[in-house]
Amino acid sequence: MGMIIAIISGKGGVGKTTATANIGLGIALNNRRCVVVDFDIGQRNLDMTLGLENRVVYDMIQVMDEEASLRQALIKSKISDNLYFLAASQTRDKTALDSLKIKQLIEDLSSEFEYILLDAPAGIESGYEHTIEFADTAIVVVNPEVSSIRDSDRAIGVLDSKSQKVKDGFDVDKYLIINRIVPEMVESGEMLSSDDILEILSIKLLGKVAEDKGVIDASNQGVPIILNPKSMAGAAYRRIADRLCGDNVPIEEPKVQKRGLVGRLKGMFS
Amino acid sequence: MIFPWNKKKQSANVAKDRLRIAIMTDKKDEDFPFLADLKKDIIAVVKNYTEVRDIDIKKESDGEFEALSIDVHLG
Repeated sequence: MGMIIAIISGKGGVGKTTATANIGLGIALNNRRCVVVDFDIGQRNLDMTLGLENRVVYDMIQVMDEEASLRQALIKSKISDNLYFLAASQTRDKTALDSLKIKQLIEDLSSEFEYILLDAPAGIESGYEHTIEFADTAIVVVNPEVSSIRDSDRAIGVLDSKSQKVKDGFDVDKYLIINRIVPEMVESGEMLSSDDILEILSIKLLGKVAEDKGVIDASNQGVPIILNPKSMAGAAYRRIADRLCGDNVPIEEPKVQKRGLVGRLKGMFS
Repeated sequence: MIFPWNKKKQSANVAKDRLRIAIMTDKKDEDFPFLADLKKDIIAVVKNYTEVRDIDIKKESDGEFEALSIDVHLG
């Protein structure tokens, strides 16, 4: 049985899809069989982040409606043989989702993969509820910013009342990724610190990811940033994936980048 | 002139305080999803004895104690 992980955030635009793509690839690079599923019906995005948009033929709604087999719809990553991708439908909307069919799909995936990552849509509506319904673990992605944190608390509240695991009397494991940290701003007291956020949300920390311009560049090219050995965000996602694979990797605090005289002068004029 | 952005150095603390209160308020509604039903039931019971105009139910907390305060407005 695979581990079913929903990647959630409440608010959109916090880096949920980027996190899903990078964690999925990181797990695959650890030699574990992993599938990432885009649950954002009508707004397919994970395909572009993974650079697989030209390979999509069938989507998950077609699999659930038995118009295509799972084998036909699963797309193998160009980067790792252990990573597969299942696309969201671009033409249907979230009302196409049905609990029984989702349960079947997740069971089928779970018999073939060790890790099943479900990229949730933004918001806490039905599309989100369907994503978390059969998950046994949730990764909450937040930005150190008030609306993201408040919305994530609401999403966690829905998770704690609507997930099947909770209805069966168990707890859903919840882990937090704090994304887009600007260390300089945390240091000067202009941005919430990781400790502040953990105190407010009181869930376990999985990783801290610094704001990194390379993320845009990576998505421009459809090559997840985890493959960039120089990127701070990439390194953070590698550590997160290692942790999910059971390695005891310490959590690193994003540090203020020390700049030399030339860098500082450049900074003054940019 | 005192502009809020002139005092930005400690704005993380402001964010923390505002978030605490916002999340507490959000939770209040979540914790008691049964309030609407409770209100209906109380109206039904009181109506057996006298006329009711409206009922106000508020959740109050005082340190570690939590209470439901129910105001029955007679019609």
